[in-house]
Amino acid sequence: MRLALAIGTFFILVIHGVVFYNQFGHQWERNQHTYFDQARVFAKTDAERAALNGRKPRIEQIVVSNFGETRVDRCTTCHIATDDPRFGSYAEPVKTHPYSPALGDQQKNGKWERRHKFSEFGCTVCHDGQGRGLEPEYSHGKDEYWPDPLLGYATQENWRKDFAPKLKGKEYMQANCAQCHTDTAFPGTALVTKGRGLFFSSNCYGCHRIEGLSDGTIGPDLSDVGKKWKLDYLWGRIADPKSILATSIMPKFNLKEEDIKALVIFLKSRKGRNFAETEIQRFKVKLTGGAELVQATIKPVQINPAEMLKQGEKLVLDRACTACHKLGDRDGGIAPDLSYEGLEKDGPWIYEHFKNPKSTMPDSIMPAFRFTDDEFKAMTAYLLTLKGSPAPAQGDAIYKALCLRCHGEKGDGQGPIAEHLDPFPRDLTKSGFMNSKPEARLVASIRNGVAGTSMPAWGKVLSEEQAKAVLGHIQTTFTKEPRRELKAREIPAKNPVAMSQESVSRGETLFVNRCAGCHGKKADGKGPNSLDILPKPRNLRNTFFVNSVDDRRLLESILYGVQGTAMPSWINDGLTNNDAGDLVNFIRSINSKPKGGQNAGAVQ
Amino acid sequence: MAVNLKRSSGEDSDGGKTSRRKMLGWLTGAGLFGSAALSAVSNFVFIKPRATYGQPQRFSVGKPEDFPEGTRAILASRGICIVRDGARLAAISTTCTHLGCTVGSADTGFACPCHGSRFDQDGNVTGGPAPRPLPWFQITLAPNGEIEVDKDIEIAPGSYLTL
Repeated sequence: MRLALAIGTFFILVIHGVVFYNQFGHQWERNQHTYFDQARVFAKTDAERAALNGRKPRIEQIVVSNFGETRVDRCTTCHIATDDPRFGSYAEPVKTHPYSPALGDQQKNGKWERRHKFSEFGCTVCHDGQGRGLEPEYSHGKDEYWPDPLLGYATQENWRKDFAPKLKGKEYMQANCAQCHTDTAFPGTALVTKGRGLFFSSNCYGCHRIEGLSDGTIGPDLSDVGKKWKLDYLWGRIADPKSILATSIMPKFNLKEEDIKALVIFLKSRKGRNFAETEIQRFKVKLTGGAELVQATIKPVQINPAEMLKQGEKLVLDRACTACHKLGDRDGGIAPDLSYEGLEKDGPWIYEHFKNPKSTMPDSIMPAFRFTDDEFKAMTAYLLTLKGSPAPAQGDAIYKALCLRCHGEKGDGQGPIAEHLDPFPRDLTKSGFMNSKPEARLVASIRNGVAGTSMPAWGKVLSEEQAKAVLGHIQTTFTKEPRRELKAREIPAKNPVAMSQESVSRGETLFVNRCAGCHGKKADGKGPNSLDILPKPRNLRNTFFVNSVDDRRLLESILYGVQGTAMPSWINDGLTNNDAGDLVNFIRSINSKPKGGQNAGAVQ
Repeated sequence: MAVNLKRSSGEDSDGGKTSRRKMLGWLTGAGLFGSAALSAVSNFVFIKPRATYGQPQRFSVGKPEDFPEGTRAILASRGICIVRDGARLAAISTTCTHLGCTVGSADTGFACPCHGSRFDQDGNVTGGPAPRPLPWFQITLAPNGEIEVDKDIEIAPGSYLTL
């Protein structure tokens, strides 16, 4: 009992001792002693030595109220020699802050003079970090829950290992320089300028909004993205959008590493209300006579009918259509090739697609960009002049030139841009599908395209023979199995049930019972089972597609299924011809409303 | 620990049991009193805050060239007056020692607007209710060539920094 009591009290004493030591034996006190000792060695006069002897370690702090909220920076408690030029060659933390002409520091009579005095600016205004922290872990922000780790210096434990080394370097501080130096061509913030350029040239502006810069509505507003997110998150969202958010619809752009870095720095500089719009403006006017705040916004181009084509070309190239699309040598690697656009599409279609991409391609991911109607017309006129180069005669050469971008090298529908297309390109290796369709229909798909999908009509590029040649290449290289003789099917040539309200409601009931599992309650192809199925169930609200196929084909697909896909043959599951007819009527009825077309009249 | 205690009691010549009991009692007492002492000390230390949210007490006021000879510059926001006398510099408080008003400069030195205290050029009381002369603060030449004033350290009136 006594022993337990003794051990217990001893234990309490130890805990008290540890707490006491942690509370009162600070690292910063030792750092200050190091500084005082070394400064006494440097001291030249007795008065200086006496002054140093009078100093005791204490918390040094700079209170700055010029930049937004009042900052309390206690960094100089440990970094006590920041303004003492005699400690230039010492190790951190007792080290002189470097002098540099790039920071605006000047040398006068052999002595450096700082442009940004610490007593006026503090430390965190440039470096970020937690100014009040007195322990490196907290003040530098190694803790993952601190919002602003030391920019470009601290990399955190939880950051992705492959990103972490790229997030180091003093360039990242340019994001904070740009809080005051908002001039677009400020030499000290070259990477912010580059990032701002990339924001436009890589077409970020099409989807994202940044106050004063752009008006995109598809992606999140980025006006204060730098305040919300740390470097690793920004890097990850640009370099590999789906790695952070699996459901992200942002494409992975083909950006070089230094481009990503510039974009990250630019985004980090977007903190919503930057200092330039607040008290600092007055401070700046006092210091420099006030440099004007310049914002790079896009101004509409006045279209001159005589130079419409040229202006259209300039718009298409300058406004970064090729950040996604392919055009000549430029290739964004996300969206279809525009090189044959003039042969594949007509003017109203292109204009319509510009005004509202979803009106001609219901599942398109293309953003609706803000151009004037005249600009759209000029761009349409330019795109109509694109005729590409004549297609080669050999099947394999044609496939490589025209089909590979979507259907892929192996013909499995996994081309480089396939993941951005909805519906996905057809998997040409599925012999069940390829061999159950007559050759005439496959050739028709090539030459007339598939309405409402990304499959263009190649009729003006490929002749009947060329289409057959490329189909032959596909059959021998990808499908491999020889074409079989099809079993005769009994399909009514016409819908056996007349269109009527009763038929539609019968069809709806049937649809909900039988089809909604895959095609979805809304018939948009997004039913609960659709996630596990490839090819995806057809979006039956894609009016362009549904209107392009006749009743016979719909009936065939319902009754006999679609081979090579998950669509079963419903005739085996008790559906009669009349049931299928009701279903067709239901599908027709949900697509009967006129869609789009309201802008088509503007272009001849 | 139990083993060690037994051993020490075994070596004792007066008989193990009492010695062990004494030893344990001593340890318990030391532990309790030690903890109590430590907590008492920490409580007293915590009474005085280590940092407050005011402006720092040690600050730079600029270069010696900013204060030409004969200057008596009152820095209102800092609460000090920089006095330059030849090649000598001093920092005198401008906070009245009576009730803490900010004193202004007068022909004869300083004058407090609140209750009429008057001070001479060196801050000595020449009239009014002020009980003490104005304090002088430590003034040093920082290694970067700027003048630093430390309001936490008072020095004897009349001690100047010689440039």
